[in-house]
Amino acid sequence: MSFNVIGKSVIRVDGLAKVTGKAVYPQDIYMDGMLYGKTLRSTVPHAYFTLDTSKAEKIEGVVRIFTAKDVPGHNAHGVLFKDHEVFCAQKVRRIGDPLAFVVATSEKIAQKAVEAIEVKYEELPAVFDPVEAMKDEIKVHDGTSNIIYHYKLRKGNIEEGFAKSHVVVENVYKTSMVDHAFLQPEAGIAYVEEDGTIVVCAATQYPHFDQLEIAEAMGVPAEKVKVINPAVGGAFGGREDITLQIHLAIAAVATGGPVKAVYSREESFVAHSKRHPEIIKIKTGADKEGKLLALEAEIIADTGAYASWAINVTRKSGIHVTGPYVIPNVKVDAYAVYTNNPFCGAMRGFGATQVPIATEQQMDMLAEKLGISPVEIRLKNAFTKGSETANGQILTESVPLITCIKKVADALEMA
Amino acid sequence: MKKISLTVNGKLYQVEVEEDMRLLDLLRDKLGFTGVKEGCSEGECGACSVIMDGKLVTSCLIMAFQAEGKEIITIEGLQKEDGTLHPIQQAFLEEGAVQCGFCTPAMVLAAKALLDKNPHPTDEEIKEGISGNLCRCTGYAKIVSSVKKAAEYLNKGGK
Amino acid sequence: MELKEVIKARTLEEVLDVLDEKGEKAKVIAGGTDLVIQLREGKVNPEVLVDISDVAELCFIKETGDFIEIGAATRFVNIKESPVIGKPFKGLQEAAGHVGSPQIRNLGTVGGNICNASPAADTVPALLALDAVAVIKSKQGTREMPLEDIYIDRGKVKLEPQEILYAVKFLKPQPGQGLGFVKLGLRKALAISTISLAVFVERGENEVIKNIRIGSGALSRFPVREREVEDFVKGKKMDNTVIEEAAEVFGQVLEKRLATRPPVEKDFKPYAIKGVFKEALNKAWQRTK
Repeated sequence: MSFNVIGKSVIRVDGLAKVTGKAVYPQDIYMDGMLYGKTLRSTVPHAYFTLDTSKAEKIEGVVRIFTAKDVPGHNAHGVLFKDHEVFCAQKVRRIGDPLAFVVATSEKIAQKAVEAIEVKYEELPAVFDPVEAMKDEIKVHDGTSNIIYHYKLRKGNIEEGFAKSHVVVENVYKTSMVDHAFLQPEAGIAYVEEDGTIVVCAATQYPHFDQLEIAEAMGVPAEKVKVINPAVGGAFGGREDITLQIHLAIAAVATGGPVKAVYSREESFVAHSKRHPEIIKIKTGADKEGKLLALEAEIIADTGAYASWAINVTRKSGIHVTGPYVIPNVKVDAYAVYTNNPFCGAMRGFGATQVPIATEQQMDMLAEKLGISPVEIRLKNAFTKGSETANGQILTESVPLITCIKKVADALEMA
Repeated sequence: MKKISLTVNGKLYQVEVEEDMRLLDLLRDKLGFTGVKEGCSEGECGACSVIMDGKLVTSCLIMAFQAEGKEIITIEGLQKEDGTLHPIQQAFLEEGAVQCGFCTPAMVLAAKALLDKNPHPTDEEIKEGISGNLCRCTGYAKIVSSVKKAAEYLNKGGK
Repeated sequence: MELKEVIKARTLEEVLDVLDEKGEKAKVIAGGTDLVIQLREGKVNPEVLVDISDVAELCFIKETGDFIEIGAATRFVNIKESPVIGKPFKGLQEAAGHVGSPQIRNLGTVGGNICNASPAADTVPALLALDAVAVIKSKQGTREMPLEDIYIDRGKVKLEPQEILYAVKFLKPQPGQGLGFVKLGLRKALAISTISLAVFVERGENEVIKNIRIGSGALSRFPVREREVEDFVKGKKMDNTVIEEAAEVFGQVLEKRLATRPPVEKDFKPYAIKGVFKEALNKAWQRTK
């Protein structure tokens, strides 16, 4: 049987446009009479605030300044929980929360006006350490515990597993917050079509979901919102949450004209999610031969001020903390916790990236204690076809891990 | 406002520029060369690179008025009018060196600046030639192999 | 102040006239690799900007008498590729080759590297080790001062508003002299120096280190000469013991100097300098032969 695509080198459909510079990213769209938007963002992590926009409004060229009261529908968005506000109404929960959106005839004027808005903060105690945050002494979101998710995994009996273990290694590992730093900063343009349809053109990973979020915030049916996704300059998970889409929609409807916004690199860093930093407390036991017998882990994922994909990410960490190894006795507790830090969400690996830092170092240490090689201990425990993962999944498809480890080991010896 | 003249992709332009305008803004906003990308605004990412008087430069670090009398090449100047791609563009396409594409125009120009000067670069020289251009999709291996392939095409007299 | 006037100068006279007339209101721009960012951030607010990047009189590398002279608006790429500088002083070319990226080296100038007065300027340690002299011009005339004396503080140099750095010059290499340069950064390209170090040595009879000058970057508020280490080494016979001992001395000097700095500096740099110094000294010594 022959295929048209499989097994062949195919030139990507958008390749030609990209090598010639003709591919259109949202910042490349220029429309007649378009206005420019700039976002005012909080400079403190936790506070009540009031705004005085009167001076900024008087600047020549400023068309309008939008705040929470200008959101026609629900002042909320979020991929799982609607815990983000389109514009903060009374309280900010992190540095970088959006407070207002200035629309002006030029980008320069919009920037000037953003700087002319007076913000008065009544600062609140903030919490930056997720372990502290778990005590709920300072609440990031009123009326809700900071612990927004607890994933529990129980298999076998870990007390027995550790009792039978010849070697046990226990450590705490910490991973850091990471930014996607996709090369194309967030940008978009919005306008209203003759029949009233709101068109938002922005680089996004989630056009269909953006449509719903925009519609809810605008208080219109979804069919009145059209999201156009032009070329996207990298995303890696960082464009799953709303950034400027709703701001642009509100501004376009209110001013009638096309409104464009382009974030600076600095604002891009502030505006989108990060990779969850995790604290991974882990204990691993193995018998004399290096067969794993038990694993116990507690994972605390700091999701910052908003949940985004925290639940899915934390669950994935909880599942993957065993590594690709067969372990008969496992106990995992993984928590996602609100703090006043930058918010965390999707990023390549989605929770599976953090935990190997702990798991694999544990393997190396066990091997060292047992006097066997790091390769040997992995070969002894690796998943194969038919293995059962700690959460009960039977791996029925191809699991070529052992082949892979052997190839790497061979290559290392040759090097 | 200040009146300046400069050549872009072989065409002479006489334009009024604001005093605080950068070459990047002039090329994109005023002249419409949107293949020049703004990624970081401080010379770190290289996405705004253009070739100025034969040298690769970041257009975000040049004031527009400084470009008076300069000859500039942007990505828009590489493809022939009949649609034929420059051998470097062709190689990038064939080798799969393009992912999100935001770094691509400047990466192609970095390769051009290198190959114009050094038609037989080593891997190490290619890596140095593109060291001022970030690709966050991390397609560097394929970019390096594209530049090698482009060198072959060019040395054979173009493709 | 709002930027009101921009001038693309073609002659030095034009530049000096503008500076004489506008004084503090004017700012000179060359490569712009730091200045354009500072302008956009509002950290520098001149009323007049004078571009010297195409003033031919400021772009040169030439031999004048016993000296090699480099015009202030000479790009890093031109220093890197210059046949004038000579093999023994290749360290200066390596320093220029370590600046930023190809794009930055095509724009940035040696004069900017000096006048911007960043502690981490890459070519300055090499120029300090070469005992370079700064040549400064204004409408009133020309004056010279040791490059070392031009610094007041981080970001500040001893130039009057009417003055411009015209060139730097240093004595041509003599037999038995060599310059080594080593940079430590987070990655190869576009890394601000964690440490940059240039060592000039002159080999005497019987492998004696007749003279040594060390210029450092990112170890003080601005690039400096490391005289304590120089004094320790000078006159000694070059061998492994001296290298090891001098490296220890360097480490101790930095431990004292950086004692109140954040851990990344006070713990890391005194340790890292030992390897950097040994490598730079060995490179310099190799080039004396």
